[in-house]
Amino acid sequence: MKALRWGATALLILAALAAIGAHYVAPAGYEHQFRESPGVSPSAQHPLGTDDLGRDRFARLIYGLRVSLILAPLAAALTTLMAALIGGIAGYCGGWVEGCALVIMDLFLSIPWLFLLITVRAMLPLNISPESSVFITFLLLGVLGWAASARIICAGTRDLLKSEFVWLARASGFSGFKLLRLHLLPNLRGTLLAQFWISIPVFIIAEANLGAMGLGVAEPLPSLGSLLRELQNVVTLRPEPWRFMPLLVLIMVVSCFQTLLNKNEVRT
Amino acid sequence: MAALLQTRLTISYKDKTVLREVCLEINEGEVLGLVGHSGCGKSSLALAVLGLLGMKDGKVTGSIRWKGEELLTLKESAWLKLRGKEIAFVPQSPLSSLNPALRIETQLAEAWKLHQSGGKQECQKAILAALENVSLPAEKEFLRRYPSEISVGQAQRVLIAMAILHRPSLLIADEPTSALDAITQSEILDLFSHLNRKLGMSILYISHDLPSVASICDRIAIVNDGEIVECAPPQQIFFAPTHAFTRRLVAALPSMPQMPEKRRGASA
Repeated sequence: MKALRWGATALLILAALAAIGAHYVAPAGYEHQFRESPGVSPSAQHPLGTDDLGRDRFARLIYGLRVSLILAPLAAALTTLMAALIGGIAGYCGGWVEGCALVIMDLFLSIPWLFLLITVRAMLPLNISPESSVFITFLLLGVLGWAASARIICAGTRDLLKSEFVWLARASGFSGFKLLRLHLLPNLRGTLLAQFWISIPVFIIAEANLGAMGLGVAEPLPSLGSLLRELQNVVTLRPEPWRFMPLLVLIMVVSCFQTLLNKNEVRT
Repeated sequence: MAALLQTRLTISYKDKTVLREVCLEINEGEVLGLVGHSGCGKSSLALAVLGLLGMKDGKVTGSIRWKGEELLTLKESAWLKLRGKEIAFVPQSPLSSLNPALRIETQLAEAWKLHQSGGKQECQKAILAALENVSLPAEKEFLRRYPSEISVGQAQRVLIAMAILHRPSLLIADEPTSALDAITQSEILDLFSHLNRKLGMSILYISHDLPSVASICDRIAIVNDGEIVECAPPQQIFFAPTHAFTRRLVAALPSMPQMPEKRRGASA
């Protein structure tokens, strides 16, 4: 298991480095069109060939990886923050505040969220700029993903409130925000971190699902999801197996995250 | 001697009455022992005097007068100024009463900042003075430890140091030695009587252990069946008990009660 974790860490670091240094790894860029050679097979110049518009597939894969690897953690951070705030306040206040919050969480968890994502994304204009499409996609993911984490935080806060050190803190005159900041949050840090790490692969997959339906990041900016769209043309796949590369990379990145999480969850 | 605290209170949980018309009076500089079975409502009394019983769904009726002022009608904001500053609390289980996520220093500093305004130096001075009073090493190395890195006896001393940071008029100690071994127990008892003599602090000492209470208290109140059945100096409790329950309590002692009597005589 240890070797597996090392391998996963190494692969993730490699992927992160490639994504950070995309400019150097893939100097072709994600939108430059090699008009004289569209749809060519892999070669020294284009390791994964070019797509129908003559764009270098390898470059698009690296840049797509970058988009996913930067934005999934950001969306996870947003989710975790919302979960901490809503779950923390609900658990702290208890009573009807907690009741209302739990009902809202249940509601969020019962939403067929993929359908909702499609609906919301479809309501937005199709010709928005690639940058804002990235922003909107992950904002949506972040805003919709908080409920499950918030429930855990809420339960954690409630348990902490019953603990003896919180009673002593109250007996010492602590209350409200100070109690939350000093005695509750530091003890929820482990739970929050776990929620953050768990959310990252979930969001990478969610973005990929959206992207495969053409509702994620807008062209010409690539993401792991939008690169999967090419796979919809099943007929052309058999003679060109290198087109599977984005799918392989996606599975690799997510499974690396999951491998590392196995250990993290035990620890936190 | 003026009465610091006067109570005449009834405590109930839902439909069960735990204490009925309990009249207690603690004078300035006095150590009052409160002895009774486990679960007889002693700790509820402590929580009531701290105004925290409502959070455990308990109900207090009657009157609690602090320096002549009625506490039961006090607003929460006024309670916050009283808790920790005027009336401090030392809990039963030392290790679980310290916040596991914060260093000793942080916990002491935050408890100080809660009721005092002043610079870092003043805070440091107050902490060092409090540590000296409970005979703990006033070293940086010790202060930087986490609660999991100190012994139970040290943790109890840290809690006492935290309680006396603001030189409260009354210290409520709820079975402060029940989690400690015999030697540490007697050290902590000595510490309490030392604090009482040196700082003139009144102490409400709650315990089920009659001999340890007798060694430091001026008067002992015996609780049985929701009422105070007897309240007298230790000599009278041991040698001329008037109530049947007190007689049973004294008769159940494993060792001869003369020993605490002698120690009391030596320190008076």
